[in-house]
Amino acid sequence: MQQPLRLHALVRTLVVTAVVSVTAPVFAAAAPIVFASWGGTTQSAQQKEWAVPFTQASGVQVLMDGPTDYGKLKAMVDSGNVQWDVVDVEGDFAYAALRDGLVEPIDYSVVNKSQLDPRFMSPGAVGSFYYSFVLGYNKATFKNDSPANYTDLFDTKRFPGKRTFYKWSAPGVLEVALLADGVAPDKLYPLDLDRAFKKLDTIKSQIVWWSGGAQSQQLMASGEAPLGVFWNGRLHALQQTGVDVGVSWNQNLTAADMLVVPKGAKHKAEAMKFLAAATSAQAQANFAAETGYAPVNLKSAALLPADVAKTQPDQYKATQINLDMKYWADHRDEIAKRWYAWQSK
Amino acid sequence: MPNAMSTVAEPPVSLPKVSAGLRAARLVLPALLLLIVFFLLPVLSLLLRSVLDPAPGVQNYAQLFGSTTYLRVFGNTFFVASVVTAVTLAIGFPTAWLLAIAPRWVSKLVFAILLLSMWTNLLARTFAWMVLLQQTGPINRLLMWLGVIHEPLILVNNLTGVTIGMTYIMLPFLVMPLHATLRAIDPTTLRAAAICGASRWQAFWRVLVPLAMPGIASGALMVFVMALGYFVTPALLGGPEYMMLAELIAQLVQQLLNWGLAGAAAFVLLLVTLSLYAVQLRFSGRAPGASGAH
Amino acid sequence: MLLDFDRLGPLRWVLLSVGAAVSLFLLLPVLFIVALSFGSSQWLLFPPPGWTLRWYSMLFSDPGWLDSLITSVELGLVVMVLSVVLGLLASLALTRGTFRGRALLKAFFLTPMVLPVVVLAVALYGFFLRIGLTGTLVGFVIGHLIIALPFSIIAISNSLESFDTALEDAALICGASPFEVKWRVTLPAIRLGVFAAAIFSFLASWDEVVVSIFMASPTLQTLPVRIWSTLRQDLTPVIAAASSLLVGLTVILMLLGLVLKRGKS
Repeated sequence: MQQPLRLHALVRTLVVTAVVSVTAPVFAAAAPIVFASWGGTTQSAQQKEWAVPFTQASGVQVLMDGPTDYGKLKAMVDSGNVQWDVVDVEGDFAYAALRDGLVEPIDYSVVNKSQLDPRFMSPGAVGSFYYSFVLGYNKATFKNDSPANYTDLFDTKRFPGKRTFYKWSAPGVLEVALLADGVAPDKLYPLDLDRAFKKLDTIKSQIVWWSGGAQSQQLMASGEAPLGVFWNGRLHALQQTGVDVGVSWNQNLTAADMLVVPKGAKHKAEAMKFLAAATSAQAQANFAAETGYAPVNLKSAALLPADVAKTQPDQYKATQINLDMKYWADHRDEIAKRWYAWQSK
Repeated sequence: MPNAMSTVAEPPVSLPKVSAGLRAARLVLPALLLLIVFFLLPVLSLLLRSVLDPAPGVQNYAQLFGSTTYLRVFGNTFFVASVVTAVTLAIGFPTAWLLAIAPRWVSKLVFAILLLSMWTNLLARTFAWMVLLQQTGPINRLLMWLGVIHEPLILVNNLTGVTIGMTYIMLPFLVMPLHATLRAIDPTTLRAAAICGASRWQAFWRVLVPLAMPGIASGALMVFVMALGYFVTPALLGGPEYMMLAELIAQLVQQLLNWGLAGAAAFVLLLVTLSLYAVQLRFSGRAPGASGAH
Repeated sequence: MLLDFDRLGPLRWVLLSVGAAVSLFLLLPVLFIVALSFGSSQWLLFPPPGWTLRWYSMLFSDPGWLDSLITSVELGLVVMVLSVVLGLLASLALTRGTFRGRALLKAFFLTPMVLPVVVLAVALYGFFLRIGLTGTLVGFVIGHLIIALPFSIIAISNSLESFDTALEDAALICGASPFEVKWRVTLPAIRLGVFAAAIFSFLASWDEVVVSIFMASPTLQTLPVRIWSTLRQDLTPVIAAASSLLVGLTVILMLLGLVLKRGKS
């Protein structure tokens, strides 16, 4: 009685193995990848313009997750059980992440380097989209005399009212303060922190901090802060809903969100393919048209509809300044310490 | 009936009481196990990082105590928590009192309103306050229209906003247990006090408050402790000048990725709070809500 | 006398006016949210320039909102039941037990309330990653249960404290079984505490943001996580619509409860 059973079991095992090895490639191709971003309409646009076409072309499903959380990312990498395959992160974090062992190097044999804007590319990260910090003001409040540059922003006599700035330690605010204090754009880095904080102290009591894009829009729309420094896309959205917002592109500061692949990601190869798709010219152009943010692919500009092209940061290159992400990545922690110490005084 | 009034003699056989006590002790095991496996062990390993990350030693603690920023944040946190507890107690006690003794329809209505406010999602409520307290918001507009003020008051993104927001959230946590305690007090006690010649004031401070003390202490402790570690409301309604510990630790964990320092800060907070609790135990003679004096 | 409402005299009006002011204070944001949910401005301006039902239709047409809402309710109910049961057991042990170190144990049970939530979130998340519980309902339940338990223990202990065990002894002497005693004497007497424990536990889970952000996965998300990322990213009165819907539901449930009670008596 034993022998027929053993033979039966052996045959069964062989059959199962054969079936599995034939179907395995099919199963492997169907494994979804997880894309984590910040949520809201930005992520919806990323889903619509990048993920959906990618799935149609490659058959790989892209699941949306979020919001991006660096604590979560670190925990994942530490534990070896990485849940995210592609993550949209802030520029300065992206540059530091490779050095800190949190991300995989980008496979530039898959991602086409030649078409990408060199400002937003690094061994460990590739640009997601870019934007500019601009000066925004409430046109109704400042009918006769509108603020035109950062010096005006710090002039509380001519332009009274609360000002709003980005709350977190990140590129942008310190540079604005230095520029307002008369520092020449090419002499911004290394940042003179003492000088920047001193300048900010002159208006500190009038500052309201925005902690997210939504809050910045709420502050402007409600009149709570009639002027401040904003992401250009947010002001554009406000204008489209009929809020009378004035924008000054004078000395606008570029920054970017970047895409990274966490170290130990489970679907690294597909992740790289997704990055290639997301940074392709048409995908970037479609995303720009939908959100008002700017594409990182140099060939996308030609694909933009005329009315969208007008609102893009690359129309305002005359006095444009690129924030130095590499500097920020190298000095991230020490600047953050001083920033939060100053803020809490 | 409060224990102080009972005059029941001990049951004749003492043995069942002893084993009953041990039997009761065993009941704690499920909850204890849950907390040890899913709370103590994971958190302990994170706190251990405070002496291991980035290198073994106490540099994280040295950094914590050596920097005025962090010390200030600690101080702010305890300060804000005290203010919130005091304000919540000030408005919560009369409310609980009303709930305990008012005619049924009044107390039911107030109770229903209390429940309704709790049911609305925390984030939505906090956000509503953000909009309400703005300079161009309805409260300022109303006050200016009434002529009470001429310049809008700054009610949000500062200590005022945090206090209002947190008091709003914490109020039900104080009122509910307190009103249960007040309701459990026998009114005869106070009538007796009046007969004995106590004035209203004396009756209040020397009879009512001591009898309500378990509820007051338990509610106040809960509010204070919650306020210490609270994150959401201070993050949305507060300003950086009074940054609280929870937000600082969140920054360290989620933005600066400095888990060693975060662990150190969390550990110090834990230590201070538990010692406060121990001090309170020493003073009151018994823990609020813990072992009855048998 | 101070506990007899009719004999309070002028103090009565003081209490009533405080009660009225507090009720107004409690209702203000709730009413405000309901009003905002019908406003036509995207930027939550008040008074709104117009009125619309647009946000409600957006709410119903987006499966993400409804899914997260249902997940939150399911989670809340499970956590509520577990928290009350475990809390009751633990409270009985802490108030009636005769072992040493009771105060210390109670302090230990309260620690999740003291520890900043983000520390618990990261620690638990790291642990769950290693045992594969992330993004699962079980993981969520455990995370929320740990946060809810202190509330349950405080509320029930509070009630047990004011309860005289002599009543239990009396029932035992009268011939009731120990189980009957617990069921028909103790539980009814502490029902206010149990009720409070149930509510606090449900709400602790319902409102919980930080642990939920860590535990969430593409397929499992709670309402607060959705609202939080919406608050940060896109302002839209859809949040107000979602909250108002729940307020409306609660009011209806409360009225139903009232009607049923009247029917019974």
